[in-house]
Amino acid sequence: MKVVPSRSNEWVGPVTSQRPASAIIEIDRVSQVFQTSARKDHLALSDISLTIEEGAFVSILGPSGCGKSTLLYIVGGFVSPTSGGAKMKGKTITGPGPDRGPVFQEFALFPWKTVLGNVMYGPRQQGVRPTEAEVQSRALIEMVGLKGYENFYPKELSGGMKQRVALARTLAYHPEVLLMDEPFGALDAHTRTRLQNDLLNIWERDRKTVLFVTHSVDEAVFLSDKVVMMSKSPGRIRQVIDIDLPRPRRRNELLLDPRYQKYVVDIERMFDEVDDPGSRS
Amino acid sequence: MTSLAAAARRAAPVFACIGLLAAWQVASLALKNDSFPTAIEAIRAIPDILGDKESLINILASLRRMAIGFAIAVLVSIPLGLLMGRSRAVAAFFNPLLMVIYPVPKAALMPIIMLWLGVGDITKTLVIFLGVSLPVIYHSFEGAKAVEEKMLWSGAAMGLSSVQRLVRIVLPAALPEILTGCRTGLVLALITMITSEMIARQSGAGNILFNALDMGQYDTVFAMIIIVGAMGICLDAIFERVRARLVRWSEPQFDMPLSFS
Ligand SMILES: Nc1ncnc2c1ncn2[C@@H]1O[C@H](COP(=O)(O)OP(=O)(O)OP(=O)(O)O)[C@@H](O)[C@H]1O
Ligand SMILES: [Mg+2]
Repeated sequence: MKVVPSRSNEWVGPVTSQRPASAIIEIDRVSQVFQTSARKDHLALSDISLTIEEGAFVSILGPSGCGKSTLLYIVGGFVSPTSGGAKMKGKTITGPGPDRGPVFQEFALFPWKTVLGNVMYGPRQQGVRPTEAEVQSRALIEMVGLKGYENFYPKELSGGMKQRVALARTLAYHPEVLLMDEPFGALDAHTRTRLQNDLLNIWERDRKTVLFVTHSVDEAVFLSDKVVMMSKSPGRIRQVIDIDLPRPRRRNELLLDPRYQKYVVDIERMFDEVDDPGSRS
Repeated sequence: MTSLAAAARRAAPVFACIGLLAAWQVASLALKNDSFPTAIEAIRAIPDILGDKESLINILASLRRMAIGFAIAVLVSIPLGLLMGRSRAVAAFFNPLLMVIYPVPKAALMPIIMLWLGVGDITKTLVIFLGVSLPVIYHSFEGAKAVEEKMLWSGAAMGLSSVQRLVRIVLPAALPEILTGCRTGLVLALITMITSEMIARQSGAGNILFNALDMGQYDTVFAMIIIVGAMGICLDAIFERVRARLVRWSEPQFDMPLSFS
């Protein structure tokens, strides 16, 4: 029998053999302290442990400021946690890499590149030939509904369009894990639904692992295998809910499904408990 | 309406020049001072200068020094400024040095540099280099500091090394700011070029100007001022063209009427 590593106290070094067969990302007792300008320590994340299985779609749900983005940055390797650590495929994460593709809340597009230039950037960096990268990128741009905008600069796009370019730019270099920080936050309801469906289609085809931050309960239940409910000050995992709904998921079927409705209602109630007004004032 | 506005915009600099010359003419006629020739007298002296082979060689020599000093300054200052903007250690090392050099008029260093390097091209080019460097370093520094972190993170996730991020993300992202510094630098190059030739009289446009001043040929003096001014306007206009092309992606919409028009 294998020992269960996430409960063991001896968590040091990249011991590949001990990791559960299907785990791709293991977050182990991560805490993050920020120094605020007032020179006070602010505990943004407290003792987060979470294992994400390969090919799973996991959503992180929680009130604003509970540390969802910070957790994503730690998995991305952009921020190193104050204590604890995260592993990707058994190897301790020490920095960013093309195996983990972020889609940031702030888009972070390259403003000097056109839409096409932005989307081609990753593949080109990875050594894909220009003509090939262009064909792939044009297809992705079409998929996110921006056909005809290939030669626009980011400043010429609306917020929702920028967000779609950011998604296409990350998908273009085929990361094994997608780290998405409220990628549909700035979209209108219609486009949002369309992109959710597109994302599900991509995901059902490629079975990429997705870590998806959102504050929409509907979205989390619709998309995910697992919903991680976080609470605020300090950021903690309150509960992990398995979403046991059949796939492929069709929106029109799911909305009528009583199981779906129960998940949404239950999680919304949980959200209310977590985000009590007393802690916000 | 719009074509009228466009015509007005194109004609505006011409009107400005004509207005300036007219004011000069009037002021000079009113003052009746020997050392203040009229605009027309000064303009008449221009062909004499530009027709004279010796003067032309002098002016071209000035421009050559200026171009070399400017080019070397830009090539050194941009990387330095960008590094300072992205590395606290580099900034901490260079900041005090630059703070010492900043307030010193570069031409004031000339006598010392002349003692070391003589009165030749090297001294003058070095002074131009010093004059151009600081604004370019400063703007590159500010531009690099302001680069959005998530942009660098995106690059890192795509596999760009730190050097690649500096060259392929920080440099283009900071380019609008860098070019603002270069534009200031270009004007300063012209200024330091003339002052360096005032101090080390040997050749150059400044030499013609100050020799004429010594000999009381005031129309030549003012003709040289016009020529130098025209050079400044042309260089700036050419630079502005290049700049606008390079940073088209960042240009804000210009013609937002305030309340008039
Ligand atoms: N660089 C930083 N310096 C200091 N404090 C920070 C920093 N980044 C985040 N924080 C703090 O950490 C906490 C969590 O921030 P984070 O951005 O991860 O929240 P979030 O859950 O993503 O919120 P939102 O849903 O609004 O995006 C916040 O209280 C924030 O003030
Ligand atoms: Mg966030």
